[in-house]
Amino acid sequence: MKFHWFNLMPWPHLPEDFRETNRSVWVDVDSRLYDPVEGHRVYNEYLDQLEFAAGLGFDGIGVNEHHQNAYGMMPSPQIMAASLARRTKDVTLLLLGQSIALYNPPTRVAEEMAMLDVMSGGRLVAGFPVGTSMDDNFCFGSNPATLRDKYKENHDLIRRAWEDPEVFSWNGEYNKIRYVNLWPRPIQKPHPPIWIPGGGSIETWDFCAEMGYNYSYLSFNGYVRGEALMQGFWNRLGEMGVEFNPFQGAFAQQVVVAETDDQAEQMYTEHLQYFFDKCLHVYPGFADAPGYRTENTIRAGLRAGGAQGLGIAHTLEWKDWVREGYIVAGSPDSVTEQIEALATKLQVGHLVTLLHCGDMPDDKARASTKLFAEQVMPRVKHIWEDYEDHWSPKPIGSEQVATPAPVLTGSN
Amino acid sequence: MAELKTLDLRPGGQTAHVWEGGDASSPALLFLHPITGIPRWGEALESLANDFHVIAPYQPGWGPAKDDLPGVRDGLDLVLFNVDLLNTLGVGSAHVVGVSIGGWIGAEIAAIRPDAVQSLTLINPLGLWSEQHPGEDAFAQHPGFPTAVLFSNPDKRTELLMADRDPMDAYVGELLDLRASAKFLWPIPDTGVGRRLVRIDTRTLIATSEHDNIVAREMGDIWRAAIPGAQSVEIAGSGHIADLEAPEAVAELVRSFALEGVTA
Repeated sequence: MKFHWFNLMPWPHLPEDFRETNRSVWVDVDSRLYDPVEGHRVYNEYLDQLEFAAGLGFDGIGVNEHHQNAYGMMPSPQIMAASLARRTKDVTLLLLGQSIALYNPPTRVAEEMAMLDVMSGGRLVAGFPVGTSMDDNFCFGSNPATLRDKYKENHDLIRRAWEDPEVFSWNGEYNKIRYVNLWPRPIQKPHPPIWIPGGGSIETWDFCAEMGYNYSYLSFNGYVRGEALMQGFWNRLGEMGVEFNPFQGAFAQQVVVAETDDQAEQMYTEHLQYFFDKCLHVYPGFADAPGYRTENTIRAGLRAGGAQGLGIAHTLEWKDWVREGYIVAGSPDSVTEQIEALATKLQVGHLVTLLHCGDMPDDKARASTKLFAEQVMPRVKHIWEDYEDHWSPKPIGSEQVATPAPVLTGSN
Repeated sequence: MAELKTLDLRPGGQTAHVWEGGDASSPALLFLHPITGIPRWGEALESLANDFHVIAPYQPGWGPAKDDLPGVRDGLDLVLFNVDLLNTLGVGSAHVVGVSIGGWIGAEIAAIRPDAVQSLTLINPLGLWSEQHPGEDAFAQHPGFPTAVLFSNPDKRTELLMADRDPMDAYVGELLDLRASAKFLWPIPDTGVGRRLVRIDTRTLIATSEHDNIVAREMGDIWRAAIPGAQSVEIAGSGHIADLEAPEAVAELVRSFALEGVTA
């Protein structure tokens, strides 16, 4: 099993009465709550944490894309990944991901990801989410009625731009480019591993099955609720004749570790409460623009009884969060047991851990991360060791890796 | 009573799903539905059918035409659809009545094919944008009751739009009708028709509803000022979907204006 360290990069200073005074953490959140000078400190702290996790032996460090969002302050994951590429050496750069339907032309995405793959020596995972309705439709103005069609075209164009060595013309519905000829090209051939973050859309399962991509279920509902959805994905692969390999699946999970179960509760409750209460306070009217979901997905959702889970997490307590799997939490022994249960239920080979939660201060994030890396990971890494991981990067050999020159004191 | 027909407009072309009612020898009336489509042959259409040959198509993407949305890209495609429909029915010109997004489509038809339009009645039309009068965002609503904002009272959605239909089909249909609307109105309902309104030389009536949450009364003034010689009236008590909320008032103002040139 492989473990990735991911930081959503939340703004840690939302006020006590945030829920009452703001209708949403996303899209129209009050910009006056943000302080750019404090933002400078926070960015550096969060990037330091990602590098710290790389040093502790996590397989990957992850960044993503959100817009106008107080719990996800990475409008450009490429900028973050570029910073990480220079200060890390072996770790996977999990760019999970870029909402490719938003960019015109999407060859810009192909260029930037190729740059990252070259800068990092072939360590990039390219995540291609459709993106959320909040980001795509409400923040970027992308039309929900054509979003998926545009996503498909942009995907096809990026793939061809990476792989076709000839100059070609692209006469699409959404992009018309007379000369496509990418410079630079990715190191990884034919392309960096492609992961598709999704939230349960049936069409996304089929797409991953057809293209051989990793499906990454990114929700904050936790592994207990995630079981049915991941099982749906695996069943769909089976129906389509794809051989099971756990590394074709990834799952994101909030995790906190302390020396004892009680200590974990004492240390982390307030920060998880901050996350569930404030960071997930999204105005329902921004969640699902008309056309964002297909008719099939709407009907499947209605048959399943509609969305459940996220709306209530903030009303629960520590023991409920643990029991219902919103969090994997406790002592290293307890967390190990829960990770084993998660692996059995979800059958995923890649776990994207969210070890920084809400407004967690740096010392706690590092303590939790260190305990996980040193006392949990070694005991669960063997899970799925009989399977070959085809969805991790294939970097260049260590003899070819360039090392950034030391910065001279006083020269910068 | 009326009949829901399925017509092929031209070989290799689109299929139209159209309600047709009234006496074929009466003056023709093309009814262009609002965001919420045509949930049923309702009171407004029934009343109009006493005096008109009513032609009420589902625009491509709405109702039974939900799968036709990819075939239309913009307002011109919608104009051609409606003009082709009139031609197929042997109707040279018609009184055109558009509600909500239908108001935009009606204005486009009148600007592009003035010969096809005998009179133009635009009720709570969408298609123009004013930062001073944005109204509620029809597409940023709670998914549990996504069109409630279109009515003067949320209960009217249940009563007028959802009643007597299979609950899941009605709800999915509601979302798909909104999807079709979003294709043309997202993210800001500025369709560019404002550049063409000056071309309209048909007599025109602009009606706004007293309790429309998304088209402010001031927008009616902006439409009236942009269309040469247009007149305006207000529909008392109604929300945005006036054909469902105030069917008799809508039928009466259309009848008076189209047949007698009188603004009630």
